[in-house]
Amino acid sequence: MEEYPEEWRTPPVCLISVVGLAEHEHHRLISTHLLSEQPPTNTLALPDLSKLLHLLSKKPKQPLDATSSSSPAAGILKRDWLIKHRTRVPSVVAALFSSDQVYGDPAQWLQVCSDLDLLKAAIKPRNIKLVVIVVNDTLSDHNDVYEERFIALRKRAELDSKYILTFNPNTASDLQISLNRLASIFGELSLAYYRDEGRRIKTRVEKKTLNVNSIDLNIRYCFKVAVYAEFRRDWVEALRFYEDAYHMLREMIGTSTRLPPIQRLVEIKTIAELLHFKISTVLLHGGKLKEAITWFHQHNASYKKLVGAPEVVFLHWEWLSRQFLVFAELLDTSSVPAQSISSLVLATADRPLTESEFHPSYYYQLAAHYLKEKRSSLEIALSMSESASELDSSADSVAPSVYIGQFDRLLEQGDTVSKQPLTDEDYTRYVIAEGKRFQDTYEILGLLKKSCESYGNHKARRMGSFCGFQMAVEYFALDDFNNAKQLFDGVANQYRQEGWVTLLWEVLGYLRECSRKQGIVRDFVEYSLEMAALPVSSGTDVQPFSFKECGPAGPPTLSQREIIHKEVFELVSREVGLASVEDNNCIKISRDNPLHLEVDLVSPLRLVILASVAFHEQIIKPGVSTLITVSLLSQLPLTVEINQLEIQFNQSECNFVIINAQRPLLAATNDGLQVHRAESTPLILITNRWLRLTYEIKSEQSGKLECISVVAKMGPHFTICCRAESPASMEDLPLWKFEDRVETFPTKDPALAFSGQKATHVEEPDPQVDVDLGVSGPALVGESFMIPVTVASRGHDIYSGELKINLVDVKGGGLFSPRETEASSMESHHVELLGIVGPEEEELGPGEIEKIQQSFGLVSIPFLKSGESWSCKLEIKWHRPKPVMLFVSLGYSPLNNESTAQKVHVHKSLQIEGMAAIAVGHRFMLPFRRDPLLLSRIKPVSDSEQLASLPLNETSLLIVSAKNCTEVSLQLQSVAIDNEDGDSERVCSVQHGGENLSGPSLLMPGEEFKKVFTIVPKVESSKLGLGTVCLRWRRDCGIDDHSGSCKTEAWVVTKHKLPDVEVELSPLVVSLECPPYAVLGEPFTYMIKIWNQTKLLQEVKFCVADAQSFVLSGVHNDTVFVLPKSKHILCYKVVPLGSGLLQLPKVTVTSVRYSAEFQASNTASTVFVFPSKPDFKVAADVGKREMESIASE
Amino acid sequence: MATTACFIIVSRNEIPIYEAEVGSAVKREDAAQLHQFILHAALDIVQDLAWTTSAMFLKAIDRFNDLVVSVYVTAGHILRTSTQINAMTFLLFIFSLLNPLYLPGSRITSSHFDTKVRALARKYL
Repeated sequence: MEEYPEEWRTPPVCLISVVGLAEHEHHRLISTHLLSEQPPTNTLALPDLSKLLHLLSKKPKQPLDATSSSSPAAGILKRDWLIKHRTRVPSVVAALFSSDQVYGDPAQWLQVCSDLDLLKAAIKPRNIKLVVIVVNDTLSDHNDVYEERFIALRKRAELDSKYILTFNPNTASDLQISLNRLASIFGELSLAYYRDEGRRIKTRVEKKTLNVNSIDLNIRYCFKVAVYAEFRRDWVEALRFYEDAYHMLREMIGTSTRLPPIQRLVEIKTIAELLHFKISTVLLHGGKLKEAITWFHQHNASYKKLVGAPEVVFLHWEWLSRQFLVFAELLDTSSVPAQSISSLVLATADRPLTESEFHPSYYYQLAAHYLKEKRSSLEIALSMSESASELDSSADSVAPSVYIGQFDRLLEQGDTVSKQPLTDEDYTRYVIAEGKRFQDTYEILGLLKKSCESYGNHKARRMGSFCGFQMAVEYFALDDFNNAKQLFDGVANQYRQEGWVTLLWEVLGYLRECSRKQGIVRDFVEYSLEMAALPVSSGTDVQPFSFKECGPAGPPTLSQREIIHKEVFELVSREVGLASVEDNNCIKISRDNPLHLEVDLVSPLRLVILASVAFHEQIIKPGVSTLITVSLLSQLPLTVEINQLEIQFNQSECNFVIINAQRPLLAATNDGLQVHRAESTPLILITNRWLRLTYEIKSEQSGKLECISVVAKMGPHFTICCRAESPASMEDLPLWKFEDRVETFPTKDPALAFSGQKATHVEEPDPQVDVDLGVSGPALVGESFMIPVTVASRGHDIYSGELKINLVDVKGGGLFSPRETEASSMESHHVELLGIVGPEEEELGPGEIEKIQQSFGLVSIPFLKSGESWSCKLEIKWHRPKPVMLFVSLGYSPLNNESTAQKVHVHKSLQIEGMAAIAVGHRFMLPFRRDPLLLSRIKPVSDSEQLASLPLNETSLLIVSAKNCTEVSLQLQSVAIDNEDGDSERVCSVQHGGENLSGPSLLMPGEEFKKVFTIVPKVESSKLGLGTVCLRWRRDCGIDDHSGSCKTEAWVVTKHKLPDVEVELSPLVVSLECPPYAVLGEPFTYMIKIWNQTKLLQEVKFCVADAQSFVLSGVHNDTVFVLPKSKHILCYKVVPLGSGLLQLPKVTVTSVRYSAEFQASNTASTVFVFPSKPDFKVAADVGKREMESIASE
Repeated sequence: MATTACFIIVSRNEIPIYEAEVGSAVKREDAAQLHQFILHAALDIVQDLAWTTSAMFLKAIDRFNDLVVSVYVTAGHILRTSTQINAMTFLLFIFSLLNPLYLPGSRITSSHFDTKVRALARKYL
């Protein structure tokens, strides 16, 4: 676009002129104001009238009618017409006069009049509009002459009064008003001017339509009308007339004879280009993207075939390329949003535009394409034309003519220069000489780069690749191999990825040449090998287009692959370097300059060589040999012989080398460390056939044994290091995947081919050490449970042994590591590792215990010789009954070699139950035959919530029972109730019912031990804590063992919290009194005492039922009143009639106030009757005891 | 100018599975494989367009100079791009798909298929 002159590229802007009063600021004020208006107006500011007169009279042209009617025009458009109208011919002339001049003395007035006359004469032939501006810069009063002079001025200027303006620059507001008025008047007048001019020329167009000869003129007129319309911003009309001109021009091609044919075509094309440019600009300016593109295609279609004379065909290509470039730039700068494009594509039905045609990149690309055409045709033209110097001399005197698209010869005769028409031969020489000056290649590169970037912007990678490829080819042609290679590499990646093999072949061919020319051996070999291994041969061997020009790669055929293969293997297998035929960049591989290629999983060279390694076993024992299969696959077209193969492992001592026995041993291989294995059959890689080699291998070191790589030596100084792959996880060859080829397995055994791994696991040597956990029976909650651990060596010495102890919750699921337990809350440690006791019954020093936590311990073990043993005890305490898994693992090294020694591990685990040793129970009892009325008991409250109630100041009994739940017998030392509160004595007295245990009492499994306490609450309370039962016990180890380890065993305290009780004052206490026994026939007194503890009178009903075995005297039914704080006694004389355990007469006492009924329990109202009076000399005590024991049950 | 057509079947992972250049051709100055380069580049457009339209035959989807690219997108998004239009080959392609020994996505190497394509091309070009 830059090659067009400025006036073509920008839309036309109206031009006005101001004349006179240059010494003031007015010119600047007016011109800046007009320029800032919308639409802007350019101002031609002239200081005085003479300048304007000079400007307008300078025009070289005679009236249009004169030339047009007499002779046909010498050209279509004049080169300077447009710029003339934009910069020199104003549409409006504004004459500035000061008010002093107009309203001043007559001499000045006369001057004004004469100026006006001159001005009018000058602008009349051009129909330029006139405006007179009176600048009112003084405030002097001219009222008397004002009206008169104003009319005179108007008459003199022959103007409507509204075109005589007063300009008031004195105050800012006046100035602004004046400027605005000026602008509107100027706008109106220039619009009128351009419309009149347009109309004037339009009539000529209509007049001339029939005249074929004056088609040139018609085009010119149409063009002018369009330009005038553009001045008026009438885009529709401008477009119409531009199109008219364009169409007429197209018709002219066959008819015009004015110029010699070559120049004629050049002129037409040049003008067509300008017209097209205008049309496109107008269309795009109006946002009509689709129309613009369609127009461009029409333009392109109608001129594309007009190649012109063969010797200047390059002009055509240059012209076409420029069309695309200019349109691309227009699209680039146009503001049509990109997102609407896709909708546009679909909307166009009749002549579908493709999506890429909406992007400038497409046009840049084609511009480059045609420029390439131009370059090649120019080269042909140059080679055909005469010697260069001749061209240069003849080109000197040719210059552009006054008409667009024409050239003249300048003839200098002294000072005067005259112009002469050119012949086509001269012109041809001239353009060829001109064409030589341009560096087309760089321009092509620039265009392609733009196109590539633009494609990249809308993510058309493949289009971009194509552009990149074209660029790279240009760089290649320029011998700029660095740039070319970089671009080719990017493109090759794209094609490689998508498997377009033929294209990849093409690109690789260039890359190979690049590296050959640059002398980079590695790249050359790599690209050659890749090309040789490409699957191009299949199906395309029959090339119908053998004539087709190929790139440096040659045709993509099998034979070409073979040629490349041979070439590269000749290079690598030669002892001396291959002196490249063509250049000094000698490509060679020598001792000083060896070549080592790496092939990894993503390398394109996987096609060349693919190594699959499979161990036959997934787990092997140390020192035991296993089989390993190394398989190699190549897609090279010819067979390749390998000199030697080195198989490398992560354990370097396992590495071994396979030597081709048929080849002489190479001198370089004698490093003593490696194992050499000779292969009798030659190591030959055949196309697409696995070379399978199976060997024995063994490793002494436990852990992972992995094959890392296979290094194939193919020439004296050429090796390929190939990353080993497992057959199980091997990916298909990228490009060969879909080819028609025989698929074979890398190993003979198909199972191994699917599951084989390149790594195997070498086991640890078998441990020759026993770890024993000597534990018997379950652990008891609370005790320190000792677990003896014995480490006994059976064959290995133990160096730097370490014992790890882990306690893991069985129910908790997975094993948790010590770190996790550390993090978890302390509450969760129901089982705790307390310590580790060494073999000599002493705590191990801090040096031995490396770490100890609640569930994890680490102990180091001293050096043990074979046959020795060491033991320790783990002290574990259960806080809750639960099973626990104990893991003990011993790690040691059998050799005294700290750094390299590998550890051997022995694991032991054991589940240990934790049990509660003693179940503690309790029971509250009221005294025998004494019943306090406890009001809380009669309330209907659900049992679960109710606390046990004890009567205040009464003696209640607490029976604590302890049952041995274990399988072993226990020793019970004491049972006591601990009261945490200090003032418990005041609140409630708790006392032993019997004597203390004299010594530890033995509790057999399942046996229950009971102890009775008496409780007398002294304070009324709704919630009284009674304390905790503390049992002290230990495992009974038997009498024999007293001197043994058990003696040190501490007493274990098991605690049982007693529930809180409610203490209340009972309003009534009923007690039954009768002798402990009775004798048949002997009467005794049976008393029922009712004790009223309240301060109220209590009404009590009672009822005594008859009993079968007793005769009874006294009231059966009655109601009595018991006085406050006093006792009422019902007394009955009773005679037993039978013997044995007999039921006394049933007494029912009912308190009316509390509506509570009391009935003595069966036990309480039972008495033993002897048949005759027994002899009770000793037995009185026994009877009493018997009674107690009965009561306690 | 005589017509040349390059006919390529592209599998859904953008790998060409069949290539044929048919038609009578005059020698061109173009770089070798120009047709293939253009067809490959046109995949950019096809990729975008195949998901936005339900039409299977995308006629003249891309142009480069005189070359016109048309694409037939099959239901399974196997593309047949061609620098000229050739309707009958689709049927052949279906036949080859019906072959039980044909692995989808792999190259079509049947010489029978090749001859048929070329015969059709002679008929229609």
